[in-house]
Amino acid sequence: MLKIIVPTIMLFPVTWYSNNSKIWINTTSYSLLISFMGLSFLNQPNNNSNNFSMNFFSDPLSSPLLILTMWLLPLMIMASQYHLKKEPWLRKKSYLSMLISLQMFLVMTFTANELILFYILFEATLIPTLIIITRWGNQTERLNAGLYFLFYTLIGSLPLLVALIHLQNSMGSLNLLTMNFWLKELPNSWSSNLLWMACIMAFMVKMPLYGFHLWLPKAHVEAPIAGSMVLAAVLLKLGGYGMMRITIILDPTTKAMAYPFLMLCLWGMIMTSSICLRQTDLKSLIAYSSVSHMALVIVAILIQTPWSFMGATALMIAHGLTSSMLFCLANSNYERIHSRTMLLARGLQTLLPLMATWWLLASLTNLALPPSINLIGELFVMMASFSWSNISIILMGLNMLITALYSLYMLITTQRGKPTFHTHNLNPSFTRENTLMSMHMLPLLFLTLNPKTILGPTLC
Amino acid sequence: DRTAGRWRRDWDGKVSEIKKKIQSILPGGAWNPLYDTSHLPPEHSDVVIVGGGVLGLSVAYWLKKLEKRRGAIRVLVVERDHTYSQASTVLSIGGIHQQFSVPENIQLSLFSASFLRNINEYLAVVDAPPLDLQFNPLGYLLLASEKGAATMESNVRVQRQEGAKVCLMSPEQLRNKFPWINTEGVALASYGMENEGWFDPWCLLQGLRRKVQSMGVLFCQGEVTRFVSSSNHMKTTSGTEVTLKRIYEVHVKMDHSLEYQPVECAIVINAAGAWSGQVAELAGIGKGPPGTLQGTRLPVEPRKRYVYLWHCPQGPGLEAPLVTDISGAYFRREGLGNNYLGGLSPEEEPDPGNLEVDYGFFQDKVWPPLAQRVPAFETLKVRSAWAGYNDYNTFDQNGVVGPHPLVVNMYFAAGFSGHGLQQAPGVGRAVAEMVLEGHFQTIDLSPFLFSRFYLGEKIQEQVII
Repeated sequence: MLKIIVPTIMLFPVTWYSNNSKIWINTTSYSLLISFMGLSFLNQPNNNSNNFSMNFFSDPLSSPLLILTMWLLPLMIMASQYHLKKEPWLRKKSYLSMLISLQMFLVMTFTANELILFYILFEATLIPTLIIITRWGNQTERLNAGLYFLFYTLIGSLPLLVALIHLQNSMGSLNLLTMNFWLKELPNSWSSNLLWMACIMAFMVKMPLYGFHLWLPKAHVEAPIAGSMVLAAVLLKLGGYGMMRITIILDPTTKAMAYPFLMLCLWGMIMTSSICLRQTDLKSLIAYSSVSHMALVIVAILIQTPWSFMGATALMIAHGLTSSMLFCLANSNYERIHSRTMLLARGLQTLLPLMATWWLLASLTNLALPPSINLIGELFVMMASFSWSNISIILMGLNMLITALYSLYMLITTQRGKPTFHTHNLNPSFTRENTLMSMHMLPLLFLTLNPKTILGPTLC
Repeated sequence: DRTAGRWRRDWDGKVSEIKKKIQSILPGGAWNPLYDTSHLPPEHSDVVIVGGGVLGLSVAYWLKKLEKRRGAIRVLVVERDHTYSQASTVLSIGGIHQQFSVPENIQLSLFSASFLRNINEYLAVVDAPPLDLQFNPLGYLLLASEKGAATMESNVRVQRQEGAKVCLMSPEQLRNKFPWINTEGVALASYGMENEGWFDPWCLLQGLRRKVQSMGVLFCQGEVTRFVSSSNHMKTTSGTEVTLKRIYEVHVKMDHSLEYQPVECAIVINAAGAWSGQVAELAGIGKGPPGTLQGTRLPVEPRKRYVYLWHCPQGPGLEAPLVTDISGAYFRREGLGNNYLGGLSPEEEPDPGNLEVDYGFFQDKVWPPLAQRVPAFETLKVRSAWAGYNDYNTFDQNGVVGPHPLVVNMYFAAGFSGHGLQQAPGVGRAVAEMVLEGHFQTIDLSPFLFSRFYLGEKIQEQVII
């Protein structure tokens, strides 16, 4: 792991000591090289895990997420170039330092092999994200957004700290590698219910679950583009990853306790998809669509079958790439029109045809078109939930329909139709933007050819 | 004890300040830890409307009414003077008529008349009292001499085609209907029988303000001092180079201070009335070699017009319409106490620097033709007078509507030269359709686009002499 962590830490001197005109190219290229180095983690010789050191390991669940995180840093840096153009050098370097420190914490979180280390880094990722949202966001509401984001996540995760310390005391060790081997069934009592709630709530708020999702639209809309990208692509998956790790020790309480949350997810999926149909703000629509997709992941994780875990992992990776790409597309619109309202940027297909292609591909993967990995994830989750309860297929089917509706609504409103007078002088797409979109899309397309890599630890 | 009283007052002040701070920190409030920013406009708005008179508010109303989803477009109206002390809207005599020769003007006025008749359905706000516009539907009476009779006939034909109810009257009929008129020199008169008259413009303005605020439009008191724009050098299909500009930030300066707020915007609507020309110059319209599209200014400038109020007990009476004489002098009844309003467009333009009234103008130029036309006016007593600005379009005295070809996100709704108030609802709807749909849907105002100044296509009213 040091081959990833030390270069990431060394990105700090790269930003601060580079020649002012070269910081962007240096940081982008070096972070890209680091992500290529991480690709070697995908080599999983057996169903077990790769142990790198006493503190870090990676297994088929965490390696795709790790690679997604590392792949995203150069993309975030590329996406931020435009809106940071006019800032003084010191501020640009601080922004990049925030992104790099976030990256460092995220890399260590996904590979931590001890739950307390995971918790500390989980909380540590909040700080750079909060700073990015409140300092570099666009509007006055960003202060509100930062507050919601910080306090929702903190309040959700404080019980987790208490629970982890109790578990450490009772089980002796919280090492993920050895937890499988000394599982004790939790006794059927109120205290195990409370323990279950304490462990799961942090991740529910992070995912987010429908009832606790209020922070997400605010944070996503007010954050600058890199903040939105990392929030949508990676930070939400932290919740999923954590839940998948911690449900190992929470048997059999999960079978009974998960019902209310499953209901909230199934209902919330449809609710947030329907809200998407009524949205006028582009970023807000993508944020609610994230909530809807993550609800599927929560359903999958709470059902706890091998197929659902495969679906959850695939869906997390697919959604990470798709959502981040949609945010980049929305940002390219915003940079040209200076407004996030969908209605004011119509008819872009005639003006920017290549960008229209990226919009089309992103919308198609968002609505889970076959044979993309989004479909594989959703399909596995649907099949698992059908086997859990036949009736859930109605809700899942309805959700897929509404997802298709709002994705196409977003595509048609922005791309089709007559262009307005005030879009007459749009800058044509920059190479940087096209690179950004293709770097999101190509992994999605290639993974369609070999989805085994992202199907997680329960691949049979 | 006096010191205790003062301490108690200071304490109350401090408590209210702390309460305000806590309220702004709670979710939903705009929080700035350094100082109170509630008077500043938001940092971002989709549409910024420069000018809060009847045209600006009408555009805001229709933008909010025609948006397909509620809350889709964020609109900010920037008005320099919330007392409207110099605005043309409230200083006008509030007349509405359809007796134009340009068909689009007639259609606009017809729509405005139906808007005003149904104003309590359009501008209804929950729990607020209905509006009383005091619409006096008494019509306009235009008089023409021998020379102008042919023009008047053809005008009335166009008006009838568009659906206005106007009739032509001979001097005989005039004398029968209005015995107080001296028909010497009058060959023909046109009298509007429906949808014409006058109303209270202040009431319309307040009604629009109330409704527009209930629809979620933000108001800000400030002056637009700067437009920050980005330029693109592009080539047209025929190979000529053009520079297209887009305004992405509007600097709104607060009253009596140097403080300003940059508002990031996607669309700017110029509805600044008599000062539209100055606002257009701020955006760089007209800075270029004369004769080119870049060098074509917005030819709107403020012109001062006087309105005089006099008392005449033997005057025309309750059913007198708004009479426009051959000489250009006009008058109408005001209220029920034998008062009349009137004026005349001056040949020599007075200095528009201030709104001082020249009573000598009334004595010399306005009274004689009025006294000749209505003998009862020989004994009248001037009660008061005021002056207002006319946003005069020096090119063809008709309004400018729609986008500018080079500054791509500035839309105009200005320059109506005295009939802005009566055409405001129709114009507002047209601009909103232009912004939201991309073309005029109900009334086609393409002859009113900015490009006519460059192409030299005047749409002028046929003036009746």
